[in-house]
Parts: sequence; structure tokens; C-alpha cells
Amino acid sequence: MSRLNLLRKLPGYMNIWSILSLAIVILILIPNMTILFNFFTQKAENWNHIQEYILPDLLKNTGLLIVFTGILTIIIGTSLAWIVSAYEFPMKKFFKWGLILPLAIPPYIAGYTYNGILNYTGVIQTTLRNNWDIKVDQVYFNILNLPGAVFIFTLFLFPYVYTITRAFLANQSASLIENARLLGRSPVDIFFRVVLPISRGAIVGGVSLVLLEVLNDYGVVQYFGVPTFSTAIFQTWFGMNDLNSAIKLSATLMFIVFAILTLEKVLRGRKKYASTTAKARPLHPTRLIGWKAWGAFGYCLFIFLLGFLIPFVQLIDWMLLTFEKIASPEFTTLIWNSLLVSFVGALLIVLFAVIIANFSRMHQSALSKSAAKVTILGYSIPGAVIAVGISTVFIGIDSGLSRFYESTGLESRLFLSTSLVILISAYIIRFLAIGYNSIESGFDKIGNKYTEASRMLGMNMTRTFFKVDLKMIKAPLISGFLLAFIEIIKELPLTLILRPFNFGTLSTNAFKYASDEQIHEAALASIIIVVISAIAVFVFHQVLEKESN
Amino acid sequence: MYVQIKDLCFGYKNAKNLTIHHFNLDIEKGEIISILGESGSGKSTVLRLLCGLETPSKGIIKIGSETMTDERTFVLPEKRGIGMVFQDYALFPHMTVYENVQFGLKHWKRKERKNRVHEVLELVNMSSYAKRYPHELSGGQQQRIALARSLAPEPSLLLLDEPFSNLDADLQIKIRSELKEIIKQTGTTSIFVTHDREDSRAIADRIITMRDGAAHDWDSLCTTTRAEDEVRQPELVRLK
Repeated sequence: MSRLNLLRKLPGYMNIWSILSLAIVILILIPNMTILFNFFTQKAENWNHIQEYILPDLLKNTGLLIVFTGILTIIIGTSLAWIVSAYEFPMKKFFKWGLILPLAIPPYIAGYTYNGILNYTGVIQTTLRNNWDIKVDQVYFNILNLPGAVFIFTLFLFPYVYTITRAFLANQSASLIENARLLGRSPVDIFFRVVLPISRGAIVGGVSLVLLEVLNDYGVVQYFGVPTFSTAIFQTWFGMNDLNSAIKLSATLMFIVFAILTLEKVLRGRKKYASTTAKARPLHPTRLIGWKAWGAFGYCLFIFLLGFLIPFVQLIDWMLLTFEKIASPEFTTLIWNSLLVSFVGALLIVLFAVIIANFSRMHQSALSKSAAKVTILGYSIPGAVIAVGISTVFIGIDSGLSRFYESTGLESRLFLSTSLVILISAYIIRFLAIGYNSIESGFDKIGNKYTEASRMLGMNMTRTFFKVDLKMIKAPLISGFLLAFIEIIKELPLTLILRPFNFGTLSTNAFKYASDEQIHEAALASIIIVVISAIAVFVFHQVLEKESN
Repeated sequence: MYVQIKDLCFGYKNAKNLTIHHFNLDIEKGEIISILGESGSGKSTVLRLLCGLETPSKGIIKIGSETMTDERTFVLPEKRGIGMVFQDYALFPHMTVYENVQFGLKHWKRKERKNRVHEVLELVNMSSYAKRYPHELSGGQQQRIALARSLAPEPSLLLLDEPFSNLDADLQIKIRSELKEIIKQTGTTSIFVTHDREDSRAIADRIITMRDGAAHDWDSLCTTTRAEDEVRQPELVRLK
């Protein structure tokens, strides 16, 4: 019976959608599987040394970064989310989206900008010296250490906690909070006794995104001299030329990622961000007056200044200083390179995401569900790890194709591994989740009824997709494309490792200048990245606001 | 018998009990059948099984001489030639009324296609609305277009899922007599699902009541298919 049943269902499953989905899932899984597999099988020459002398430090630094960044982003993110959703105060409308803007500045850019502001030749110390002849102790102004990295991560990643928690509070919590008010609780009481507990799921979701970003980071920790897994992977791979040790480090980091994901699941419990059953009534904000209003205003302004305006103005200042020197034909090439890889990458991401999302909504099977899970997995794997995994795979493919290369007269033995193909594949693995989430929520919104109606009128799945589905998910398609595009433009570790020889992008260029102590020269590339991201943040805020109204 | 449903069983994933168990129904050609039941009784699931949007775990469905599903065969929904009017109509919002109605006629010759669209729009009295978009129509008008769209390809069987649930009460009474007339004019064998006794009485040639996933004939409540259902019978009678 069951075999007959399977045979009977086969025509429904065997179509271009399921085959392509399976292929994409395999593309994503293989690099990650390679790492886990090699961790247990391959020997690495320096592994004993690393285990004994380097690993403890890596674990300690990573642990400290995670714990402190986690705690601080929770404090800042939730407090701002609460103030902005529950109260009315001067310029609140602006802060609502202005407080997301720190996300537009990638932490590595923020890192060297703040170092440039605070160091001996920076604006603060020169002003103090020249105007008042005040010389300060460098210790207080040195941020190139672990606390400095925590400071940068906190300021530029807290919006993950802020946005998710605010969305939750604005839509889901009205009746509970109003009831607490009627029962005579003070605002502070309500925050701790009601707001924090009910938004636990949202907070945990946001903070786990923050932590994954911290683990992914290479730019900040490298620049600040805080050894973590990302820097150690770079070092063992390129410094010691020991790929197998890099693989073992990557696998260890993957275990940490899995631990965080599991912890997130446990902490969030069975609750998701939102209870979708009840009709959501928005929380009506109370108007603050007097010092309370100015207090709320001041707090938001303070975070906004530190998290966006100050570094942004500083970057513009440096850019104007160096514009003529930097703006050259070579720089135009960098812009084109960035646009090219981002465009191609984002296009493929959207294409793949549509295929998987369409497949998984049509078949509610274990296979389609795991396809969706795998798609999202890539986003939690740090860039350096993906780079190690995908390089191992591509070097394998290249050696398999070496006969073919010889026969076609290609000189390079590592044709694929040194081409843009490997870089763009890596982008797809890492950022597919972004396109997928956007498109999946689009499909969710239209539901299955139009597709079913079309099939009842004699159109098969593929024709239905082009005639009906595709036209109805245009907006999520575009937003998924833009989000992926921006992530790729900002991306650093994957691009640094996997770019072809002599191929630079805006992000690698900015990082290269900054690492060479030419912070001013890094400004032009940085400002282009920041402006593009900031525009995107603004547009998305507008779109989201419109939708929720 | 024109439509034969034998021993149909189905359970949704993650659900403990079967949604449909041992459902049997025979329908004659041209008959209008109403499946009456409370929400959760599995009546809409029967429609989804008939048109192939769900795959039964057991049972046989035959329409005309063709087997739609048994242990070996499963005809994909787009190959069944069954028309369906969805509860909320599911008119494609990016197409005009004309394009919506024409959607199911892709295998027709161009000229015949055009004629057919006008013919069915005439039938539902909506000819002058061909160029409108669905959101420019009232609820009752949308429903007539949905009906026209599913009748256009001359389906072997027409399914209607709670066709009146989105209409206000005045309109409901007017439209259901209209609906019966239109369907009878085309002679299409039809099954419609509802929770409203009045709707059933007004339209159907025969009424089937559903409870816990099995069918019971309106006239002979005692013909239950499972022993345990007989325990529940007093309840059923009281409802009547």
C-alpha cells in the first residue's frame, strides 16, 4: 500500500520545482557538510599546537564578546523599543526609523572610524591639545581592545533587538499593557513585570541575530586585535598554510553557532514573536511632558548620535579631505565590481529563493520543510567558515576537472576556485535566507487559493507560477532582491578570502586602507556603502509602516 | 452512477484522527448535491479531495468513466476538468473580469474562446463588466464572475465551497435562486458545501449531512457507515 501510495504521488512531486530545490539544498549543504566531515577524519599538523595555545584564548574572547554584546544590546534595544512604542515625545517619529540607521554602518567601518576619532591624531585629542593644551592619557582613548569591540558591536548591532521588539510591542501587547496600567502599576513596574516577560521571544530572536553577526565578524576583531575564530581561521589558512586546521577551527565555530541556535529555541520556548490569531490592536502611546519628555528625547538622541550621526559626519569629513586623491578610474572599477557581484548574487538569490519557497508551500512534506530549514541555516554560518567549506569543495572540483582544463589549454589548475563563481556561490549560501524570508512571507500573505484556483482551471504548477504567483509576489521579490544586494555590498570576510586575484570591491578597499592605517582614504568607499544601506533602511521602514497601517 | 466516491479516507498531517473516514457517495448526472455540516465536519475536505488538491489515503473517486484516484492512480488537479468556486472567490486581482473568465480556456481556439467568455458572462448577467477588475465589483458580482470562470471550461463537475458565506443576508436569498437557475441551465453536475440548512433546501436536489468525516443521507439518518457513529445518532436527530 505505502509503496503504491508513493508511486501514485510521484507525478505530483516529480517536477522541475522539486528537482531544482533539491539541487539548491545540496549546493548549500555540501560545503558545510565537508567541514563537519573533515573535522572528524582529517589530521591537521598544527591542531595540537592550536588546541593547546590558541583555542583557549579564542574561546575566552568569543565568550566575552558574546556575553557582553548580548547583555548590552538587550538593555539598549529593549529600552528604546519600549520608549518609542509606549510614549509620545519630541521627534519620536524620526527616532522610530532613525534608531535603525546604525545598521547601515557595517561594524568594521564603524570600528576604524571610531578609532580615527579617538586616537592621538583624531578630532577629539587634537581639539583638546590645540585649543586648551590638554594632553590626555592614551589609555582612556584607546578602543583597540576587547571592550572597544563590544562598544562597536553594541552600538551598531542593537537595532536587531530594537526593531524586532518594537514591532512586537507595537502590534501585540496593547491589551496587556493597558490592563496593567488600569491595575495601577507604575510605568517602570510595567516594563519589568509585563513588557520584558511578554516580549521575551522577540528579544531572544533579535539578540541571537546580534550574536550570529558577532561570530561572523572579521573586520572589527582583526582591526581591534582581538583574536577570535574568524581571525584564527584566516591566520591558520593563509599564515600557516594549514587548511585542515582552519577546517577544525571552522567546525568548532559551527558547534558554537548550533549551541546558540539551540539556546534560542529553548529560551524562546513555544512562543513565536507574534500570536496571529487575535486581531492585533496597536498600542496607543502616552504623551510625555516636562523633563520626562526631554529625558526620552535625550536618550534616543544620544544613541542616535553615537550610532549614526557622529561616525557618519566624520566619514564625510574624511571623504572630502581625500576625495580628489581617491576618486580615480581604479575606484570606478571598484564600484562596478561591487555592483556587479551584488547584482548577480542578489538576482540568483531571489531566483533560488523563489524556487524553494514555491516548492515548500506546494508540498507540506518533511523534504520541503527541511529544504526551508537548510536555506535559513546558511545565514547563521559565519562567513569565514563558509569560505573554508566552499574552497575545499571547489578545489576538489577543480582537481577533478584538471584533465579537462589541460585539454582545453587553460593554464590555471584552479580555474573555478579563483573565479567569481566561487565568490558568488558563497554569497548565495550565506544570504539565501534573506531573499527566502522575504518571498516566503509574500507567499504567506497571498495564501494558496489563487494557485489552487488556477490549477482547477487547468494550468499546471509551472504555468500557474508564471501567470499567477509571480505577478502577485512582485513587491516581496523586489524587497528580497534589495536586501540581499545590500548585504552583499557590505559583506567583508567572504569577499576578502574568496575574491579573485586583483579583484577589489568597495568593502575590501575600505578595509584595506583602514588596515594600512590610511583611515581617511577608506572614507569614500565606506560612505558609498553607508549611504546605499541608509537609503535602503529608510525605504524599508516606509514600506513596513505603510503595510502595518 | 456519474460520480462515484467509495470508501474515501483522509487525515491531515499532524492530526490524530482521520478527517474523512469511509466516505461514500454516488451522484447522478445533472444532480445538484448539497453537503451540509458544521465547521470542522470535514465537508470542505471532501471537495479538496474530489478536485485533487489533497491526496486521499484510501478510497476511489470516479467521474464519468474516468478514475480520478484509486490505489494506483492519482490524476493531478489541473488534469481533472473539475470546476471550483472558492469560498472567497479567489479571482485573480491582477486580471480583468474577461481575463479571469478566459483563464481556463487556454486549449480553446481563439474565436471559440472569445465566444465562450461572452456566453458565460451573459449567463451570469455580467456582460457589461468584462473590463472591470475584481476589486471594482461588489461581493455578489464577484461571486457571479467566480461562477462564470469555473463554468467556462465546461467542467464535468462543479464544486462550490460555502458560496454564500461572504454575502449579506438579503443578497444571499436572491443569489441562491439565481445560482440554482444558472447551474440547471448548464446541466452541470454540482456539489456545494454549506453550513446553512436553508441554503441546502433552496438549491439542492439531494442533501447529504456530514458528521465527523462520514456522510449521512438526509432522508435516512440511520444509514451510518461506522458503528461508533450510531452512538452519536440521538444528537443528530435532535439537531434535525
